[in-house]
Amino acid sequence: MIILCLDEFKNEFEKLIRNNSYSSIEIDIIEYFFNKNIQELSSGIRLNNSDTIPFIKKRIKGRGGYRFYFLLIIKDEKLYLLFVHPKSGSLGFENIADELKTLLYKKVLECIKSDNLFAVTVNKEKLIFTKL
Amino acid sequence: MNLFDLIKKAYFYFNISNLQKMDSATYKPQILETFENVRNFSFEEKKEAVMDETKMNKFLDRIIDFKKSLKIKTDKIEEIIESSEKITWFNHLENDSLLIVNDLVSSIRNLHSSLHRQYISLQYIREKGIAKVEMKNFISAIDDLKEIANDLDSRFFFLPNNDEFDKITKELSQI
Repeated sequence: MIILCLDEFKNEFEKLIRNNSYSSIEIDIIEYFFNKNIQELSSGIRLNNSDTIPFIKKRIKGRGGYRFYFLLIIKDEKLYLLFVHPKSGSLGFENIADELKTLLYKKVLECIKSDNLFAVTVNKEKLIFTKL
Repeated sequence: MNLFDLIKKAYFYFNISNLQKMDSATYKPQILETFENVRNFSFEEKKEAVMDETKMNKFLDRIIDFKKSLKIKTDKIEEIIESSEKITWFNHLENDSLLIVNDLVSSIRNLHSSLHRQYISLQYIREKGIAKVEMKNFISAIDDLKEIANDLDSRFFFLPNNDEFDKITKELSQI
């Protein structure tokens, strides 16, 4: 599984990891997204009407109760992380509006077309973001 | 010892003996009264200690039952959320099914409202710090219930009616 992400995801992640209340986010991401197969990642709330390119909102329990938005392109075995927000704490909020979901969905399409993405890998339990 | 000394000595012993008699007569009831008080108090306390333990056990049992009931409710909420998440993976629902989804959203919102009222009514218990973990999990599940109702609405009623969203799905499927 190749994991990529948008600028928006990277920015939100970096904002959260600087805050002590959300320091667990890095481990939560590694544990949930890495070394998993497509089936294991195909769960949560599917926001679009597609089995082959599911746009997923995933609740991950933990200190912040994170919500991850990602797109799976099953035939390519690629996962695109679009956005993350905690549900609780000083940077937490309930949900994102449908307009933002649409915007992120549009953005990932544009970024896939233009290769304007970051590859996300793990090294020594740390996430590494590499611009394509 | 002359006669005078003998009389003096005899008088002294006579007085001591009388004093001893007076002591018994005057203080015995007081001592007995104190003894009675201690004995009764001790007996009552012994009984009370046993009663306290029973009361405490009943109280602790109620807390354990309360924690269990919160956990059962939280687990039920989690089950509803997980079942609702699975529904979002169904494709192209017919009107009949969409109508049921719409009813499901309304029922989830009603349930959220009832459970939230229950949580508010437990403020006194929360302030006492009873069942802290169970309370936290309970309110977190209640919040998630509200969220899943909104997500079902988005998934089946708002996003499918957004032309741009639909267009992006088509374009992505061609990549």
